[in-house]
Amino acid sequence: MYSALLPDRLPWYIAGPALGLLVVGFFLLTNQPLGATGAYVETARTVRRQTGAVTWRAFYFVGIALGGYIAVQLKDIGFDPRTGYDILVDEGAGNLGLSLPAAAALIFAGAIVMGYGARMAGGCTSGHGICGTAQRSPASWAAMITFMATAVMTTFVINQF
Amino acid sequence: MNRSAKLNLVGLLFGAGFGFVLAAANLHEYATIHNMLSLEEFDVFGLMGGAIGVSLPLLWILERRGTRTALGGTLTLARSKPQRHHIVGGALFGIGWALSGTCPAPALVMLASGAGLAIVTVTGLFVGLGLRDAQTSRTNGTATAGDGEHREVVTTSR
Repeated sequence: MYSALLPDRLPWYIAGPALGLLVVGFFLLTNQPLGATGAYVETARTVRRQTGAVTWRAFYFVGIALGGYIAVQLKDIGFDPRTGYDILVDEGAGNLGLSLPAAAALIFAGAIVMGYGARMAGGCTSGHGICGTAQRSPASWAAMITFMATAVMTTFVINQF
Repeated sequence: MNRSAKLNLVGLLFGAGFGFVLAAANLHEYATIHNMLSLEEFDVFGLMGGAIGVSLPLLWILERRGTRTALGGTLTLARSKPQRHHIVGGALFGIGWALSGTCPAPALVMLASGAGLAIVTVTGLFVGLGLRDAQTSRTNGTATAGDGEHREVVTTSR
């Protein structure tokens, strides 16, 4: 037996400042913020071999998945094949008990709205929510306050079912 | 190694670092985001606050000192005025975030951790981003790059 290198959940007061240091470190190296929306956009452009595609953002995209995979390997749970949406698909108290196709449709619709909104706003939770706010950008603060508010309201509605 | 190869390597490493921390803090779990947005758990708000609390003052100091970055010239921060698209886009993003229970970076970690339905989330994100890009190109506009996203950097000193 070996004990896991990572706890089941790294406390927020370690993980938060660690993300902050990554943002600062990346600025020190490249003078660029680390938004994930741009990573999706540039990955799509890189795969299509469009001219002017920012390839490092595609590397960043792959890196996120790779780093996540490594981290779960260092936990007790490891790589864990599952739906990932227990609250939506499982029966039981507090769960929605949706069929798999219904859950997939809801998630797909949500993801499309999320992607469309992120591109329109020019950033997501990492782009506006961390990198933009850290640059003291009023637009990013406004976007973050707005998406926090609508996300909390939407979750309130979901919790009524 | 040329500049573009260095940038790719830095991108891969920092992506891995970002994904690692997100996974370590369980941000790739639907329940973590759902409990946060149900206002039942403070942790993710604390995490975001911690990230901003560390990076905001450090970037401010580095900007004031006119720090030279390794690959991108003098450190410059972007500050824009809030416009309608920030608010409308942000509002839509929040609704989608709550429905899918994850945001763009954690969705990739979710997939990498074995969550099968995350493939639906990641695909949907690409579709949504593409829809907006298609719309802006039809209206001859350019897609918005916000202050947290990639921008061209003037590497010559001004």
